Amino acid sequence: MSDTRSVETNADDIETAIELGLEELGVSRESVIVEILDEPSRGLLGIGARPARVRLTTAAPSRHQPPPTTRREPPSPRVYEDVQEIADEVDKVGDDVFVDEEEDDDGPLAETVPVAVDDLDDDARVGLATLEELLAKMQIKADIAVHRAAAENGEEAPWVLQIQGSDLGMLIGRRGETLAALQYITRLIVSRELQRRANIVLDVEGYKTRREQMLRRLAKRMAEQAVQLGRTVPLEPMPPYERRIVHLALRDHPDVMTESVGEGDHRKVTIVPRFR
Amino acid sequence: MKELVEYIAKSLVDDPSQVQVTENASGSATTLELEVAQEDMGRVIGKNGRVANAMRVLVRVVAAKKGQRVTLEIV
Repeated sequence: MSDTRSVETNADDIETAIELGLEELGVSRESVIVEILDEPSRGLLGIGARPARVRLTTAAPSRHQPPPTTRREPPSPRVYEDVQEIADEVDKVGDDVFVDEEEDDDGPLAETVPVAVDDLDDDARVGLATLEELLAKMQIKADIAVHRAAAENGEEAPWVLQIQGSDLGMLIGRRGETLAALQYITRLIVSRELQRRANIVLDVEGYKTRREQMLRRLAKRMAEQAVQLGRTVPLEPMPPYERRIVHLALRDHPDVMTESVGEGDHRKVTIVPRFR
Repeated sequence: MKELVEYIAKSLVDDPSQVQVTENASGSATTLELEVAQEDMGRVIGKNGRVANAMRVLVRVVAAKKGQRVTLEIV
């Protein structure tokens, strides 16, 4: 586990509390895990009102603080996770867990195999050309590295178009919104050209890989908490792609089950302890 | 900006010759109006407006980089 820093903040609402915490840590929202310790409450007739309380934990290395000696944190009443919207096309797939998962912490995007340009197939070639064109029209200077993702069982591994350069945060956007839009448009254009579904995914500076690893760690931690507390622990609403990562991470967990609840943008994973 | 919308729209429609983007600047706000053939409307709007919204996200990001405010309308 890398060094972590953590702050707790209070404010009238959750968003403001998170903003305060981010300022204090001096990091961006993508790099922290948000736990909601207390939801704000107005109380009844002004009695019993309490502020929102959140804890932000960063996974980024810190030189100022020694690594924590223990990984276990005190249980908190409700736990969410700050998530980035990434996926789009996975909507069709929903939450179905259809891929076998390896035991290690690396996601499918993490283990990539570099490929020579001559070895690119139509998907990769058209994908690359389309993305280059889009970035040029957006007046963004960046390099694109093409890799084949690690093969998943029964599925052909997608090409990963990894956008690299400096100052590309804008291409990720809040909750990965911009990256999702760029991937959606790119795949749409490529699929139309190929007259079939384009087998490509986009990433910016390894964002999705990092995100995936973070979600796996979070899933395991929250599972421990669900078991400890002996009750269901809900996570923050996530896009389908991210919910799937959580489901997969806990699929073989002996003590918990996972279930998605809610509709649309509010759909979230809940971790339910198994009683034996 | 205009070129971006034009490129995306032309790549998605059946009749690229009918794609037209006009830029209307009023003060600090700019409006991009995208016109396509009637039969191609669905392609640039998408199911639940998904294509249109994705284009809007990209337009907004590029505009923000230049400190501008640009909205995209499909007419």
